Amino acid sequence: MIRADLRQGVRSGLVLGVVVVSLLFLGATTTLSTLIGEGLGVSPPAGLVILLLLLTLWIGAQSARGAHHAELPILQAAIRGAVAGLSAGLIIGLTTYVLIAIHDTGADLRTYLFQVSPAALDLWSMERTPVTAALFHLGISTAGCLLGVAVYRLFRAARARWTLTGRLASARASLAQRTGGFKRNQWTNFALYVLVAAILFITPQRLNNYQNFTLGTVGIYVLMGLGLNIVVGLAGLLDLGYVVFFAVGAYTAALLTAPTPHNLMWNFWLVAPIGIILAAVIGVLLGIPVLRLRGDYLAIVTLGFGEIIRVLLKAESLAGFSNGPRGIPSIGQPSVFGQPFNSDRDFLYMIIVGVVIVIFLTFRLQESRVGRAWIAIREDETVARAMGINTLSAKLLAFGVGAAFAGLGGVLYASRSQFVGPDDFVLMVSINVLAVVIVGGMASVPGVIAGAFVLKGLPEILRELEAYRILAFGALLVVMMILRPEGIIPSRRRRLEMHETEASEEPSLAAAPAAEAGGAP
Amino acid sequence: MTDLLEVRTITKRFGGLVAVDHLDLTVPARGIVSVIGPNGAGKTTLFNCLTGFYGVDEGEMVFDGKILNDHTPDQIVRMGLARTYQNIRLFPNMTAIENALVGMHSHLTTNAFSAALRLPGAVREEAKALSDALGLLGYVSLKGRESFLAKNLPYGEQRRLEIARALATRPRLLLLDEPTAGMNTRETSETTALIKRLRDDLGITVLLIEHDMRVVMGISERVTVLDYGVKISEGSPLEVQKDRRVIEAYLGRGAAAGIGGLAAQ
Repeated sequence: MIRADLRQGVRSGLVLGVVVVSLLFLGATTTLSTLIGEGLGVSPPAGLVILLLLLTLWIGAQSARGAHHAELPILQAAIRGAVAGLSAGLIIGLTTYVLIAIHDTGADLRTYLFQVSPAALDLWSMERTPVTAALFHLGISTAGCLLGVAVYRLFRAARARWTLTGRLASARASLAQRTGGFKRNQWTNFALYVLVAAILFITPQRLNNYQNFTLGTVGIYVLMGLGLNIVVGLAGLLDLGYVVFFAVGAYTAALLTAPTPHNLMWNFWLVAPIGIILAAVIGVLLGIPVLRLRGDYLAIVTLGFGEIIRVLLKAESLAGFSNGPRGIPSIGQPSVFGQPFNSDRDFLYMIIVGVVIVIFLTFRLQESRVGRAWIAIREDETVARAMGINTLSAKLLAFGVGAAFAGLGGVLYASRSQFVGPDDFVLMVSINVLAVVIVGGMASVPGVIAGAFVLKGLPEILRELEAYRILAFGALLVVMMILRPEGIIPSRRRRLEMHETEASEEPSLAAAPAAEAGGAP
Repeated sequence: MTDLLEVRTITKRFGGLVAVDHLDLTVPARGIVSVIGPNGAGKTTLFNCLTGFYGVDEGEMVFDGKILNDHTPDQIVRMGLARTYQNIRLFPNMTAIENALVGMHSHLTTNAFSAALRLPGAVREEAKALSDALGLLGYVSLKGRESFLAKNLPYGEQRRLEIARALATRPRLLLLDEPTAGMNTRETSETTALIKRLRDDLGITVLLIEHDMRVVMGISERVTVLDYGVKISEGSPLEVQKDRRVIEAYLGRGAAAGIGGLAAQ
């Protein structure tokens, strides 16, 4: 058992080590530390410590995860965390020692690693001697990983109330006997909510307009990703024309609040629900003819619908209605009690509220009869019907809910940028949203959020790399799909699906039927 | 005893192939009836017709006084007719308990709104469904397997889970398509006992497709034999076993003559 722990720990540690060293080589540590520093109003070195802690916390939490979601004994989890931290620390520490030692001789490392500037190294070593710097990084990895184990345990305790597995466990526990553990979970939950709410409230205050705008864009992609996640991730309906619903939301907001072409100038708060509902209605209407198709056919037809919308919006003949290719300028913006509420920060707040509501809805639907019906359809549509599920109405519901989320995204997008044109709604938007869902992790809410940050946020951060930006990004995606095809933060289900050999301690079960059949007299 | 299911001269054609040919079949309430026949005899086609996956070309299927023709699969399962599949068709990436919960779908009323708002009714219903599903898994001896993905369960347990999922739809008639295929002797006798319990404890009528003659002879009260879509024999297991046409269908005419000769001696 201990050998397995060591192996698991070293494996997690290697990942962390390689990630951190690559960030250092790419010069991303400086950029990220400065960003974090600015965001939280602390110095870059403190930002660096926070960055490293976040990374190590993540790896620590990863390493503490047991197979089959069994609770690892706390000692075992701690061993894994410590081993992960130490092995990562060794890699990082050695690299640090070598780099700083060379740096101290006065050689310029930029000849070989052009992002590793003296300033970056000064930040990295905190201007200490090579040995101190190396020990510092060794210490921070180990401490961070152990802390990650602890945080993971707390998180698990809180999550026990949310998921089916958790409820199952508590149902069993309450059948056996009521324990004191339940109450504590509630408090951990509450504390977590307060903490998250505080972070979400404070962060936009600390960021500048550009950063708020970027985060807002990420947020809009989170909204759309969560919507498409219901359609593709849960119900398994490959929709390549998802941009339609985004366009419906955006154009509804535009047409109803802008001075041209209709001069309606309605209030934003009235228009927002209209946009959402209209998107949902269009989703259902589009769904009625196309949802009889399955798989690839559905993908092709929805792809077509996505293009139709764009072409219609662009059509000169409809310019009287939609302004055609010129687009709609001066879209109305929201105000609160007569005060304009339209800075990038205000919009970020609105987007955050929207995302929180959507996450809340997704979790509740996913863990209910409705969500189970969607997953059953994804798994085997024929059998789902034979279980009494009205597959057409369940699929329409998925389309409608997904469309509503995109509609909300569209309304906020239009109002924030004050201008929409047909070219905002090209096929690439659908593809990007699909990539967010797949890269993040199908059917996983945290995955979609991570995916949106990686796909829409990372390119902005990588702006520092200029010419290499898209190259680095593309390489990252390729590596990611090879190493982690189930996504950055996969759903519990997908993880079991893709890494079955790692997740299961049992002998391979696929071979069992054959063996049994053969062994039968 | 009244008949729960009455199949009146149904015919199903695929192009020129007549898969089920003017078949009559009755299943008495609380009975266990087996359908046997060589491969390709039309047994599974019969199941697909009954559960609404295929429309029949002629004839009528009457379940508990209601005509099944023209109903969709989801309507039919709501009437109380559930099935399992010859090649197991669980929802592979859902856990065992979720599979059972999906089976309960038509008896639950939670919709998108009550689920999103978590109305008290929905919470109560979900808790009840969960404990019912746990009970069902216990009934088919799958206690402790709740959180396993269906595809990670061993073969025999997958078969039982499929039965549990069918039971979750609260059927009055259960169609089992080769429930013991690929099982060893012990698993077969366990499954046979389970089928008996379904009838005796729960009052469920069972229509069974089976190849294992020990199972057929052990539990069925009546046996219907199909060959090329035509019913060639019907009666108690003993009667069917002796029927010359049945032996012919399974072993060929020459062998049948040989066995007949042996029997005569």
